[in-house]
Amino acid sequence: MGIFSDAAITGLKKGLDAAGLRHRVMADNIANVNTPRFKKSTVVFESLLQKALDEAPVRMAVADYRHFGGGTDLAGVRPVVMRSKATSMRTDGNNVDIDQEMAALAVNTIRYRALSTDLREHYALLSLAITGRG
Amino acid sequence: MSIFDSFAISASALTAERLRLDLISNNIANINSTGRPNDPAQEPYRRKVPVFAQMLKRVQAGDGVRYGFRGAGVKMAAVLEDNSPPRLVHDPDHPHAGERGFVAYPDINIVREMVDAMTATRAYEANVTALNAAKDIALQALEIGR
Repeated sequence: MGIFSDAAITGLKKGLDAAGLRHRVMADNIANVNTPRFKKSTVVFESLLQKALDEAPVRMAVADYRHFGGGTDLAGVRPVVMRSKATSMRTDGNNVDIDQEMAALAVNTIRYRALSTDLREHYALLSLAITGRG
Repeated sequence: MSIFDSFAISASALTAERLRLDLISNNIANINSTGRPNDPAQEPYRRKVPVFAQMLKRVQAGDGVRYGFRGAGVKMAAVLEDNSPPRLVHDPDHPHAGERGFVAYPDINIVREMVDAMTATRAYEANVTALNAAKDIALQALEIGR
């Protein structure tokens, strides 16, 4: 495990990636708020990451690429885009709840800020360790 | 590019909502654009109706879509004309008056147009907020290297 690929940095990068994707998906939902028969999409990520983190301690050693390590590899966690087709908000078949989307957009922006600040702090610590000055 | 994609998505919605607002303004402006009844050569103005459609990213062979998300915003697929019959007003002195003294006015309901205009404005505002959030995220990403 290199200094740039420890669990914290890998997790933060994955989180930033997922937040970027989630923003794109929500921008698309908001863009289509007046499109008849449009069905919204959502991004599932945090639960998958949590699952990978929970399973991490019981991983087995792998000596060959054909071996099963058990558990989910943190680097292999990927966000998943889900389309919710079952519901309808209006008679035209559109199911975008604009209030929910705007609230989630605010949450996602703050989450991105938190993750990027965290990653910056992490790199600052590495920089301190390498140079000996902050 | 994930972040720049979201700029384009929000921008497509801004374009579509603005065009919709243009159509509504045009409908209101032409509320008194009369025509002669039963005369195809002198039809009254017909209300223009926008048709919104979802835009999807084109997928080429070998060009995998990341995370399977193909949404690329919204487009105005067509501008249709409202085919409801014109509103007839009795005004024999009008230059467009027909044989029985009726003038054809476009069937435009000002209340409906105003409600549509408010919907379009609110949708525009929501997309501006999304665009600002994308800007915030992009600038925040630049701060990582500081």
